Amino acid sequence: MSRLIEEKGKESESGGFIILFFILGLAASLVLGWGVFPKLLYSQKKQPIDFNHVLHVEAVEEGCESCHFFREDGSFSGLPKLAQCVDCHEEIQGEDPNEVKFVEEFVANEREVPWLVYAEQPDCVFFSHAAHVKMGKMECVLCHGHIGESSHSRVYEENRVTGYSRDIWGKNISGLKKNTWDRMKMDDCAECHAKNKIGYDKTSMETLPWPLNWALLPYEKQIGPKARVQAKKDACFVCHK
Amino acid sequence: MKKEVKNEKAKKYGMVIDLDKCTGCGACMVACMSENNVPFKEDESNKLDSIAWMRVYKLTNGKPFPEADICYLPRPCMHCEGHNGHAPCVSVCPATATDYNHETGIVSQIYTRCFGCRYCMVACPYHARYFNWWDPVWPEGMEKYLNPDVSPRMRGVVEKCSFCFHRYQTAMNKAYVEGRRKLEEDEYQTSCAQACPADAITFGDLNDPAHAVHQIAKPDLKHGGRSSNPNAFRLLERLGTNPKVYYLSSREWVRRAGDNYLKKDKTVKKLH
Amino acid sequence: MKIGRRSFLSFIIGGAAGTALSPLAWKSMDDSSIWSQNWPWTPVPADGEVSHVNSVCTLCPGGCGITVRKVDDRAVKIEGMKGHPVNDGGVCILGLSALQLLYGPTRVKAPLKRVGERGEEKWQEISWSEAVAEVAAKLGDLRSKGKSHTVCSILDSDKGTVPYLFGRLLTVYGSPNFIRTPSIQDSYELAINLMHGVQASAGFDVEHADFVLSFGSGLIDGWGSPVRMFKANSNWKDSGSKVVQIEPRLSNTAAKSDKWIPINPGTEVALAMGLAHVIIKESLYDSDFVNNYSSGFDKFKQLVLDKYNPDNVAQITGVDSSALVSLARNFAHASKPLAVCGRGQGKTQGSLDEFIAVHALNALVGNINSEGGVWAVPDPDYIKWPEVEMDSVAAVGMQKERIDGAGSETYPYARYLLNRFSGVVNSEEESPVNALFVAGANPLYTISDSKAVKEAFSKIPFVVSFSSYMDETAKNADLILPNHVFLERYEDVPMPVGLQKHVIGLSRPVVKPQFNTKHVGDVIILIAKALGGRIADAFPWDNYEACLEETLGDKWESIVENGFWSDPDFKVPASEEAFNTPSGKFEFIPANLKSPLDFSPVTIEGSDISYPLILVPYDSMRLANGFIGNPPFITKTVEDTVLKGKDVFVEINPKTAEEIGLIEGRYVDIRTPRGKAKVRVHLFDGIMPGIVALPRGLGHTAYDKYIAGKGINFNELIGPVEDPVSGFDAAWGIRARLTKV
Repeated sequence: MSRLIEEKGKESESGGFIILFFILGLAASLVLGWGVFPKLLYSQKKQPIDFNHVLHVEAVEEGCESCHFFREDGSFSGLPKLAQCVDCHEEIQGEDPNEVKFVEEFVANEREVPWLVYAEQPDCVFFSHAAHVKMGKMECVLCHGHIGESSHSRVYEENRVTGYSRDIWGKNISGLKKNTWDRMKMDDCAECHAKNKIGYDKTSMETLPWPLNWALLPYEKQIGPKARVQAKKDACFVCHK
Repeated sequence: MKKEVKNEKAKKYGMVIDLDKCTGCGACMVACMSENNVPFKEDESNKLDSIAWMRVYKLTNGKPFPEADICYLPRPCMHCEGHNGHAPCVSVCPATATDYNHETGIVSQIYTRCFGCRYCMVACPYHARYFNWWDPVWPEGMEKYLNPDVSPRMRGVVEKCSFCFHRYQTAMNKAYVEGRRKLEEDEYQTSCAQACPADAITFGDLNDPAHAVHQIAKPDLKHGGRSSNPNAFRLLERLGTNPKVYYLSSREWVRRAGDNYLKKDKTVKKLH
Repeated sequence: MKIGRRSFLSFIIGGAAGTALSPLAWKSMDDSSIWSQNWPWTPVPADGEVSHVNSVCTLCPGGCGITVRKVDDRAVKIEGMKGHPVNDGGVCILGLSALQLLYGPTRVKAPLKRVGERGEEKWQEISWSEAVAEVAAKLGDLRSKGKSHTVCSILDSDKGTVPYLFGRLLTVYGSPNFIRTPSIQDSYELAINLMHGVQASAGFDVEHADFVLSFGSGLIDGWGSPVRMFKANSNWKDSGSKVVQIEPRLSNTAAKSDKWIPINPGTEVALAMGLAHVIIKESLYDSDFVNNYSSGFDKFKQLVLDKYNPDNVAQITGVDSSALVSLARNFAHASKPLAVCGRGQGKTQGSLDEFIAVHALNALVGNINSEGGVWAVPDPDYIKWPEVEMDSVAAVGMQKERIDGAGSETYPYARYLLNRFSGVVNSEEESPVNALFVAGANPLYTISDSKAVKEAFSKIPFVVSFSSYMDETAKNADLILPNHVFLERYEDVPMPVGLQKHVIGLSRPVVKPQFNTKHVGDVIILIAKALGGRIADAFPWDNYEACLEETLGDKWESIVENGFWSDPDFKVPASEEAFNTPSGKFEFIPANLKSPLDFSPVTIEGSDISYPLILVPYDSMRLANGFIGNPPFITKTVEDTVLKGKDVFVEINPKTAEEIGLIEGRYVDIRTPRGKAKVRVHLFDGIMPGIVALPRGLGHTAYDKYIAGKGINFNELIGPVEDPVSGFDAAWGIRARLTKV
């Protein structure tokens, strides 16, 4: 009997505990989700060479296009190959340890530098630089941000699950973005296309922010005006291979 | 810019295959496989699981020696338009993994969207779709020849001929860089059409009267694209799939083999 | 403090709420869905800069120009080269698959020395200097023992710098035994040699012919230069030119022809003579050519009028005499008729009579060396190396008779007789060949009566293969000195087969050598230098590339730029000067031929009592049957009525099948006087009753798992039948029996 009373007493005591534990659980999971999880999810990788864009932009004549240019066949060169670098870097210039490493390890051995590409899209994506830069007259900055103004290579973060660069999802783990170049997911393509009414047949187009678009739009409705990506249902093949 | 896009006339890429010229050599099949990273296995003699986007069928007239005759029929995806893009496979896909592109008339297949239900394979009357029962495996070193323009597929998805859509994309890239939006006829050709040593395959825009395909197939766009060339036919035309691959044959029995005709039926053009 | 159930639940609920408000769940869901779409073990081909390199394919004698698409340093696709004089943009199924050979598992990756038994596939990797030293030591040893003439080389061609280097080494070393693998080239060359009096290859102006009469030639099954023939066939369709195909089986060529005339197999020669009979009797022949530029016509006329009247010929060939007469008339009335022969892809030599008879038909209609006709095309003479200076050993060795008997008293006309090789070696207790070099050839697979060939090889003490692939011959060699694949090396490719123009193509390194291989030309030069003396003196070049560049001289630059060199002014001499026979004219009955030809069909091996059926081979573009084994892509295109699992099908007429009690797909034993095999039957209405047909190109025992062990090699079931005049292998089939198993 006394045991029973004891337990009852305890139970009445635990009202505050319940709230406390709720808050504890909430706090712990928030810390886990917002703090620990991103740390666990992304591995940190250093570029093989710390590259100084500022220095190079000053040295070259045609800005970004000096190294990142369109080939005659319409393809975009992306990252320059060693052969291009060698034009200037046959010999070690200056004393920067990165420069020394570059010439000794790569130029001398005719080995390509295994750069980590921040903006690397997965294999299933076909992206036409020509369509956006040449036809759409878009600036590099719009998607790539101010990378041309960096004097050091930042850490490359790789998603351990998908293998994608963190730049695709965006630095902000919530997926929210301030600038156009903060994320490079499909929705971001869509957002811009919607704004500029490219590839849409409805003019009153707007996209919902993630994840509402997932939650609120049933599949069939994607053809409708509030579609996530493309209003025209037939557009997948434009960007996917 | 939008205006420009809107003003762009919709294209309708299609193919004419001259069965009188086709020698059945199989070059189109291999041209396709090597262009599109189609995998291979140790034993490919079970044709039910042997992936061949382009497959050359052997037709026989069923007569005894010496009246016997054979004819080869290369079969890519027909890129059916159906009625306004209502292709058999497109209308059944629950994942929107396959779709009719109105800009080019090409039926797409998005491998990353496909979850392998194979409903489209059931719906396709041409057996043009193939399922990846296994992961593709290339012997060591052979992955070096893989084409970066086409994604290798994984186990569990359906694949099919895309009319080498990546070639359209790369050709468009070149056009963009040169400030154009229009492609010349020879700028976009499928791998099979380019390789065919007998020049039996003609590829181009059926909507463009300047293109050879239009001139040969003479599609009657008001009547489901039916050809007004007496030697031309399409496979199972009477199903209303409105395919974009036309065949030419001077042999009546070959034209008859293209559809399920009854004995009394004639392969006349006007059915409506 | 004790945590109660409620507190715990509350903690969990709090955790759940927090998780919902954190990105963990959403992000994980998104990431895992992405992961499920990109499987890490599916290769992702690296992107890069696209470039195109023009070269020439050497996988068959067709000599097509190719354009290889590269992405950075990887070759990703082979396409036909636009504007090339042979194939103008087209490409065949084998050329398309060449990257599977380049990057495939069948490559020999380094020089290998046998350590186990022959064919046991126990190898030791050795260095190139060891390999060259070993060969040089062996050759030096044989030479010092006065056995230089017992060294023998088998190559697929005798044209171009690489075969010339082989020939030069043999000559200066002291051996006459350079052997080219057999094909209809041999028979055409000999027919032209005898009837024209010149040494030349047969070129066919197929583009301009308007009536093509084919005696079993697989015009669109790989005969001649395949892509060129496909294009010509399409042109014929456009221009309304007629094609008549004569053969017992409905091949693709027969199906695409305007008229298919089934004929009793092997009797084509009689039909050709029957057609000549009608043409002569009805005076349909070209009297200008016959009267002014030919000799022996009266004798020939007498022969055909006496022996080959349509009724007789109908009896022999099974071709209706009225059909024969109308065929002869149509042929003769055509403005540019062309008759060709050589069965299937022309991989066996055939009987000389047949080639002479068919060539005589061409002469009757006056299309020798003229538009739309047959041309005698001499080799382009761009290889002008100084004569070798032989020492006494070499001079003695070169005087010895050839091992295959070619050029001897018995076989005075033939230049190469590889078909006799195994018979000669096997007939002697000790092999008359002490060292054998094989390059660009796979005789253990391609020569008929494989068992005998294998036995002969096993008797030869030293066999060196230069194969890039682990083919049957390489597998049974003592030493493999792997050559670069054609996409990794320079080589001149002169004289695409059957072309009536002078074209020299250039194979060039499209990619860097993938493995520790060496150009066969370099190896020959190294061996010569290691042997020293006059032998080394004959090879003044530092390496093969220097040799090639020097040889091509002023052609080098243009050939490098265009990928080929062609002579726009090439013409054959007019009929007044074209013939170098004793009569100075075209000879219907060659005066240089000592024994008369009897133009009778070749009798094949086997009695019709124990072997009631006739087995013939058939060639298909989808089965490479030369020294290159089928790459996986091509094998994938083979129909399931030809190959199913590991079983090959023999084609049989449903009537014949019914007589034996066979149904579609039934397993049977096929027996011939040379061998037996288990196969399945495929009922085919396109084959003459009483005949069964097997495809060539299956039954490999080497290469890789994608081709080895599938079906059977036709050459295991057939043996050579010697042509009495030329010594060529005239077998077109063999008698066979099917028994249910």
